[in-house]
Amino acid sequence: MLRFVLRRCGLALPSLFGLLVITFLMIRLVPSDPAAAMAGDDATPQQIALLRHQYGFDRPIWEQFGVYLGKIARFDLGESAFSHRPIALDIAQRLPATLELIVVSLLLSVGIGVPLGVFAALRYNQGADYLLRIVSVLGVAVAAFWLAIMLQLLFSMQLGWLPLRGELAEATAPPARVTGSILLDSVIDGRWDALVDALRHLVLPAVTLAFGSLASIVRFTRAGVLETLQNDFVFYERAMGYRRSRLIWLYVLRNSVTATVTQIGLLFGSLIAGGVVVEAIFDWPGIGSYTVQAILTGDRQVMLAVTLLIGAIYAAVNIVTDVVHGLIDPRLLDRP
Amino acid sequence: MSAVPPLSRRRFGVLTGGSLLASGMRAQAAEPNTFVSGFGLPANLDPHQVFDVPMQALMLNAYDNLYRYEGDPPRIVPWLAQSHSVSADGLTWEFNLRPGIRFHDGSEMTADDAVYSFRRMLALAMAPAAAFLPILKPDKVTAPGKLTVRFELNSVYAPFFAAIPCVSIVNPRQIRANEKNGDWGRTWLASNTAASGAYRIDPASYRPLEQLDLEIFDGHFMGWKDNTRPVSKIANRPTQETSTRILALLNGSLDCTDTNLPADQVDRINASKIAYVQKDVVMRTFIIRMNNTRPPFDNLNARRCFAHAFDYMGFINDILDGYATRDPYPMPNTLWGCPKDAKGYDFDMAKARTYMAKAMAEGAPMKRPIEFHVQSENEQCVQSAQLFQSNLAEIGVNLKIVGDIWSNLTRLARKPETTPDMWVHWVSTYFVDPENWVGQMYDSRFHGTWKASSYYTNAKVDALLRRARGTISQDARAPLYEAAIRQIMQDCPDIWIYNSMQLQGLNRRVKGRRFCTVGQGQEIRWITLAT
Amino acid sequence: MTPILRKLSRDLPAMFGLAIVLIVLLVAILGPLLAPYPGDAAASHLLRRLKPPSEGFPFGTDNLGRDILSRVILGARGALEVPLVVVGIAMTIGVPLGLVAGYRRDWVSESIMRFTDAVLAIPQLVLALALAQLLTPSLQSAMLALSLTYWPFFTRIVYAETRRLTGSVFVDALRGIGAGGTRIVFLHILPNTISPVIVRATIGLGFTILVAAVLGFLGMGATPPAPDWGLAIAESRSYLPTCWWFATFPGLAILLTVMGFNLLGDGLRDLVDPRLRRSR
Repeated sequence: MLRFVLRRCGLALPSLFGLLVITFLMIRLVPSDPAAAMAGDDATPQQIALLRHQYGFDRPIWEQFGVYLGKIARFDLGESAFSHRPIALDIAQRLPATLELIVVSLLLSVGIGVPLGVFAALRYNQGADYLLRIVSVLGVAVAAFWLAIMLQLLFSMQLGWLPLRGELAEATAPPARVTGSILLDSVIDGRWDALVDALRHLVLPAVTLAFGSLASIVRFTRAGVLETLQNDFVFYERAMGYRRSRLIWLYVLRNSVTATVTQIGLLFGSLIAGGVVVEAIFDWPGIGSYTVQAILTGDRQVMLAVTLLIGAIYAAVNIVTDVVHGLIDPRLLDRP
Repeated sequence: MSAVPPLSRRRFGVLTGGSLLASGMRAQAAEPNTFVSGFGLPANLDPHQVFDVPMQALMLNAYDNLYRYEGDPPRIVPWLAQSHSVSADGLTWEFNLRPGIRFHDGSEMTADDAVYSFRRMLALAMAPAAAFLPILKPDKVTAPGKLTVRFELNSVYAPFFAAIPCVSIVNPRQIRANEKNGDWGRTWLASNTAASGAYRIDPASYRPLEQLDLEIFDGHFMGWKDNTRPVSKIANRPTQETSTRILALLNGSLDCTDTNLPADQVDRINASKIAYVQKDVVMRTFIIRMNNTRPPFDNLNARRCFAHAFDYMGFINDILDGYATRDPYPMPNTLWGCPKDAKGYDFDMAKARTYMAKAMAEGAPMKRPIEFHVQSENEQCVQSAQLFQSNLAEIGVNLKIVGDIWSNLTRLARKPETTPDMWVHWVSTYFVDPENWVGQMYDSRFHGTWKASSYYTNAKVDALLRRARGTISQDARAPLYEAAIRQIMQDCPDIWIYNSMQLQGLNRRVKGRRFCTVGQGQEIRWITLAT
Repeated sequence: MTPILRKLSRDLPAMFGLAIVLIVLLVAILGPLLAPYPGDAAASHLLRRLKPPSEGFPFGTDNLGRDILSRVILGARGALEVPLVVVGIAMTIGVPLGLVAGYRRDWVSESIMRFTDAVLAIPQLVLALALAQLLTPSLQSAMLALSLTYWPFFTRIVYAETRRLTGSVFVDALRGIGAGGTRIVFLHILPNTISPVIVRATIGLGFTILVAAVLGFLGMGATPPAPDWGLAIAESRSYLPTCWWFATFPGLAILLTVMGFNLLGDGLRDLVDPRLRRSR
């Protein structure tokens, strides 16, 4: 098992290295002076020259890359050109909120998507199946930012049922910060009022974000179940007189869980990407709204740090899903 | 003068994503004595690094300055200093601090602290330093007495006194403790505080552009006798979207919005029981810039053609619902030094056509595509550009709108070759003096700064503006500015559109607000929240 | 009619998708002729700002008094142009790389695939945003950024397909009769990779419309006054909740168009890879 995990991590190394090369090249090869960009609008030529020297932009490129790697290894992501704050600090403050949103969205889409997918497969080519297929096609085709605005318009602005933005109401005092996730912190702090308020704030962003992945989960669960139902062993079990429902939930579903786990890594990536605009629209104080801020302020330093971070998270999630996959299906462990 | 963007106020209002605020329509009163502000936050918290309208608002509450602007119209009044004197040649200025002023950490403020503050500001050489760098060397700021600060200028500079409020006095003891290899505590102060102001920044609450809390400072040197029930906490919660901000105001979770409400929301807010719209005339001019070095804008008739093709009143009356005053001068029409009889350019397509024909006869390439850069996230900039484009299309001028962002525009404006054909921005009040507008916009010595980005050069105007700068008496300066402005308007280097009226949504429980154009009325120490 | 097309014509959802795609295509080509106010791409009419849908303006008017129906129609051209260019460039980069990497078995192949993996290691939208920003925001930068981040998908597909084919008997046979590498790759392998590439491209068109709309929404794509759908939604936010129509219709246009490409793409995939038939 350990060998499998290590090997899987080893496989990720080249692409992590590639990721570092790409982000490094992006800031160095773009036809503009990185020092001038960092110094900001009011910088004098002296200040720019000083920065250029401080950051080593005047040294050979391979040496600069070495310095870059050294910094990343020390979690030094540089300083925002806009606020002059260390980027790592901002990210540490914001990452928990993003992970919270993504995990909740993922749970939502799996929790609803898998049963719906099974249901659709069982009603193969009947009304409910067609309806679900249409909904899942819509789910993949809808622009998340538009859906977010439409949900805000309906549920917050017109009906007033749910909060419009943020992760907590102004009147609710935030729980003591332990993990950075408001949900967890409210539980740890025993602040049930904050928990309820935070959940209310979470509904719209999480639903928006979950909608796209929900649609794909329905699609592949349905496909997986249909395929398994036609497998020989199911015919055999059915012939042996097992109840249909037991068959489905016990055998079919377990077989399709394997497929779902592989998909989760992929979905995680699309959730992170989708989260960028969704967070910005709901003022969710995470990495996504940080990215949009960086776009609007032209803060390249932050942009690249975020790209690197998201790439690394994505790689880590893929390793974890592979390992989990291996646990579910031990045959994989021996595969080269 | 470089100063960070005047637009940034709106800009930051637009992009900030606050968090702990406002939920749906559920009306919820904020804490009884907390003032929840939707006004924008500056890029960081260091008043010597950033100098824009959001920073002015923050400085007024968290920091103190030697003199400050109060009232409407703005008057410069003694603040940390109780008096000042100036030598007969106008070169030596002395300010006398009040005794017994305490910083937030309890230490006493002396003249040395003021000297440190000015030297730090000059050494960082960032936004607020621009006005001082040419005339003041760091070693010429000294403390001849415990409470006396002396400035010896290189040359006479009339706006020196007017610019004094730009500089916050910081606490050197706190900053020195956090200095890293001679950076003057730059990184540290960007998210911390070393101040003496009426409210104390809580660094733990800070999330850039999104949230910042300030607690009242009971030991403030001004005392609190003039406001027996002051706000005890300021919670800054700028929100990203105009529509969100308005909803939060209407459900009572926000005490004030930014000062740039869309005009079409005024009636809706005034109809509510919770909030209303406060209108104030500010000194903040809206200008379309032309790059005078680039054809066809190097041709006077071409520039006049453009000046006549903008629908000033249509823009002011229909898009801004009349909440702005037409200002045909290169500075606010409410300021001294404005030649009130000079006639500006009006919207007249027939005249535009005539000037266009003349310009073309002189070989000006009027038909070439003209690039108009806008800050894409700024609604009003985009609207003005689109309106202009639609009118220019009538006479066959092809205006291309290019989306851009503020930081990039100021970068482009550093050289005439990179400055866009046209762009549009506001000039807010950094200090109340014609120098803030016409002086820094049309004296050719400022070429290379965004304020002078039309790259206009006229030796006569240069001479007038420089003489005005080197003369101390306002009565003697006024005619010089009037003469310069008349000439500039003749030459038509830019298109001057309006002076602003600011629209800010306020909760009806907000009482005692005092307005001043510097800081746009965001000084909280006068405010009481009715219960 | 060839058997493949006949098969496709029996796939109802795919035909529905095809119909949408054709309609959008038609609207894109004839845009200025169909729009009630073709001038509203750029003109502004201050006197009729923000009017709700009515007979004269079925979708209402926007913040500059422009007919939203006209702008939705006029926006179709840009909405199709961007993904066509992007997918076109991405194919031009990705397909040859995939062929080379798949056919050769040396360090060239290895480095191409490692680089492809590295690019794929970042979600496309995030990488495209970073690139577009570095290139200074404009429609051209956005298209370039999207192309530079989409090619790995083609490389992957073509690589897999090429690997499969080079291992097959018929390539061995070709080598046996002395056919050169270039000849084998272009005359025998390339044609066989075409169908999966077409499927990927069709789905990619829909996907790129979505991503391009996000860029437009964030102000990194089309610039005003272009009747871009994403941009219109961004502009509409200041006028909510009063002017719901301003945000609604451009969004529906995106939804419908992307759905069309997805349905068509799904149908094509079923044809090419019958094993996945049921996966829709």
